[in-house]
Amino acid sequence: MSDFLLTQVINYGAPILGIIVLIGALGVPFPGTFIVVAAGAFSRQDILTWHTTGLIALTCVVLGDSLSYAMGFYARERILRRFQGSTQWKQAETSFNRWGGTSIFLTRFLITGLAVPVNLIAGTSKFPFKLFFLYDLFGETIWIFGYGGLGYLFGTQWEAVSELLSTISGLLLGLVILAVGGVLTIRLSRTGAAHIRRARQSSNQ
Amino acid sequence: MTPSRQRTLVWGLILIGVVFVGFFGLRFFRAFRDFRGHHPPPFPPEDAQPAETDVELIRDWMTIGFVSHTYRTPPNLLYKALGVPPRGNEEKSLQQLNDEFFPKQPGYVLETVKAAIRENQSPPTAVSPATAIPPAKVTAPP
Repeated sequence: MSDFLLTQVINYGAPILGIIVLIGALGVPFPGTFIVVAAGAFSRQDILTWHTTGLIALTCVVLGDSLSYAMGFYARERILRRFQGSTQWKQAETSFNRWGGTSIFLTRFLITGLAVPVNLIAGTSKFPFKLFFLYDLFGETIWIFGYGGLGYLFGTQWEAVSELLSTISGLLLGLVILAVGGVLTIRLSRTGAAHIRRARQSSNQ
Repeated sequence: MTPSRQRTLVWGLILIGVVFVGFFGLRFFRAFRDFRGHHPPPFPPEDAQPAETDVELIRDWMTIGFVSHTYRTPPNLLYKALGVPPRGNEEKSLQQLNDEFFPKQPGYVLETVKAAIRENQSPPTAVSPATAIPPAKVTAPP
């Protein structure tokens, strides 16, 4: 898959890169970071022009993110019907409104594996679109121009940079999953302890 | 959701996290070890981008046009070395050319392109031995 996409990028340039990042932002598992770093290296080799390519890719990826936000937004009714009134849903919505900006920003370039779920949650929890757009734009600018810039800097050695960045992203994703698991375990054990305490009190009375 | 089901889900999540951390942790150390030897190549003066010389960087996804641009080698020379007509093959990757023209010889196109570029590269120029710089003549002021 990666090889096929790279061949298309060197043949058709910025438009195909834009299509790749747009489809990737909609949830299709394309190796986005790999292609962005490669595009930076191709710019150094004068295969692509860095400013036009960067702007097209940025526009397309922000469009893709906005579309996946819209998917979450319009699926809200269906999801609410399923979870309506549940405390877990309300908790999730409140915590997303508190941490949403940071998670949108960080998942654009650092934990890219969570970008699509975060877009969907942002839309479903009615996170303000203007704010979503701003955080998305900042994060994606770092992804396109920062990661692309690294590709540009390292030129033909871009594969080593890309491999390192992809593994860092995967490692961080694993750590986030572990942290969420840890927090949920603590919460569950606290709830369990509270239940036991309440049961003891009622039996004593 | 029952508490036992919640607990199972959380343990499942932790297990997935451990698998991710283990898998990507190992890959990270390998990638970091490989990356340590790399340094950004120096930027040449404007309009003087030097040709790449390391043929081991040629990959199967590259096209003949891309390789000839990167290694400053005429594309016709590469097509001639392969015995493949340029027309209609400009957008095909080396892998596609191999599959189409040499299906019974895996890796043939890649190796032939590497060999053709090596042959086309000018031999390294010998560095002349260091010569002593004659001391500057000091002339007494009039």
